[in-house]
Amino acid sequence: MLGLFTVVLEVLAGVVAVTVVAIVGVRVARRTRHRRQAALAAGPRRALLAFVADNGEHGAQELVAIPDEAWRAAEPGALALLGKLRGEAHLALVSVFLQRGIARTALGNLHSHSRVKRARAAQVLGDLELRQAVPELCRLLTDRHDEVRVVAVRALGRIGDPAAAWRIIASLDRSDPVPSLLATHTLVQLGAEAEVTLSAALDHPQARVRAVCLDALGLLGATGSVDRMARVLREDSYLDVRVAAATNLGKLGTRSALEPLQQALSPSRPAALRAAAARALGELGAPSAVPILADLLADDEFQVAHEAAHALRRLGPAGADALAAEIDAGRTGSGAHARPSASASHAQEALALSRVGHGERVGAGA
Amino acid sequence: MSRILLVEDDPDIRHLVSYKLTRGGFDVVETADGLAALRAAREDPPDLVLLDVRMPRMSGIEVCRELRAGPLPATVPIIMLTARSRPQDLEQGYAAGATEYIIKPFSPRELQERVEAALARVNS
Repeated sequence: MLGLFTVVLEVLAGVVAVTVVAIVGVRVARRTRHRRQAALAAGPRRALLAFVADNGEHGAQELVAIPDEAWRAAEPGALALLGKLRGEAHLALVSVFLQRGIARTALGNLHSHSRVKRARAAQVLGDLELRQAVPELCRLLTDRHDEVRVVAVRALGRIGDPAAAWRIIASLDRSDPVPSLLATHTLVQLGAEAEVTLSAALDHPQARVRAVCLDALGLLGATGSVDRMARVLREDSYLDVRVAAATNLGKLGTRSALEPLQQALSPSRPAALRAAAARALGELGAPSAVPILADLLADDEFQVAHEAAHALRRLGPAGADALAAEIDAGRTGSGAHARPSASASHAQEALALSRVGHGERVGAGA
Repeated sequence: MSRILLVEDDPDIRHLVSYKLTRGGFDVVETADGLAALRAAREDPPDLVLLDVRMPRMSGIEVCRELRAGPLPATVPIIMLTARSRPQDLEQGYAAGATEYIIKPFSPRELQERVEAALARVNS
C-alpha cells in the first residue's frame, strides 16, 4: 500500500516537474522570440520614423529594400503609425507600403475565413486610404460579423469616397446595424459630395436611416437640402425623425431654415418637437427669432419655455435684452414677497448661465 | 534654442515628433507620462509644451491643469495632441489652460509649423 502511495507521489512530482519545465521553456522561448523580433525591428523602425519625419524626402528605396524578415517584425508598428499620420508623411508611408505589396495582401485577406484577418485587412486598406479598395470594403458592409462591418465602415470613412455613401446608408437597414453615431460620423467624412445621396435617403422607409441622414446633413451644413429637411419636419410619421429634422435645420445656419422651424412651434405640435424647434432657432443664430422665442417663455410646456430661454441666451445682446425684459415684467407681488413668474424664472436661469459662461471665457483668456 | 517638453506615451509618435523638432533646431525633452512631465516642468520650465491627451495614470487635461496651477506661466503655450476632435473635448482642454490643439492623424510638417508659430507669438 505504502509502495503504491510512493509511486503515485513520484508520478505526481514528475508531472509537476515536467509542467514547470514546459512553462519556463515556453516563457524563455517567447521572451527570446520577442527580443529577436524587437532587435530585427529596431533598424527598420528607426529608418521609418526618420523617413516619415522628413516627409518621405529621403530613404524610400532603403525601406523598400529591407529584407522581408526584418520588415515583418517592424510592420505592426509601421501600420499603427499609418493611422496616426496625414499629409505628405502619410502619402510617403503609403507609397512604401504599396511598393512592398501590403495593399495586395490586404485585399486578398478581405476574403479570409478569419474575421480577425478580414477586419485587420479592412483597417489597413482604410489607413492606406486606398480608393481602389472601396468596392471590396462595401462588400464587407454585409459581413456576418458586426466587428468586421464596424471596421469596414471606419475604413470607408477614412478613404472618404462619396461613392460609398449609398452602400453605407443601405447597410443601416438591417436588424443589427453599425452604431448610428459611427454611421453619421462616417457619412460626414465622405464630405459635401455625399449630400445628394443623403438628401435622397430622407425618403428611406426606415426611420433610423432617415434620422442618421438628417444628422449627417446637419453636420455637413448641407444648405442645399433645407427644403427636403423641412418636408421631413412637417410630414414624417415618426416624432423622433421630426425632432432630428428640427435639430439639424438649426445647425445649417441659413435663413431659409427659419420659416419651417417657426411653423414647428405651433401649439398643435408635440411638446418635444416644439422644444427642439426652439432650441434650433437659438442654434440658427437669427436675431429675427427673438420676438417668437420671447413669446414662448410663457408657454405652458416647461420644456418649450426652458428651451426658448436658452435659445434667447444664444442669440447675443438682442436675446439677453428680451430675457432681461421678461424678468422685469414677470415679477408678481411686491417688496420682500416679490416672486418671479415661471417665464421670468426661465429667463433668470438663462441670463445667469450666460453671465457664468462669459465669466469663464474671460477667466480662461486671462 | 527653445526648449520643448514633449509628453506622449506612444513611443513611435514620441520619437517621431522628437526627431522632427530636434532636426528643426529645438531642444526636446521627452517624457512618457504626466507625472514625469510635471517633474520635468518644475525642474526646468520649458518654452512650450506638447501634450498628448490620452495617457495612462494622468490624462493630458489633468497635466495641463496642474502645469497651469503650478510651474508654468500663462504665457507658455501648451499644445494638445489628441484624436478626440469633438467640440466638448476641445473646450475641456481650453478650460484646463491649453492654447491650441493638433488633431491626430497629424502632419509632422504642420506640427513643426504650429510649434514655430506659437513660439513666435510668445516672442513677438
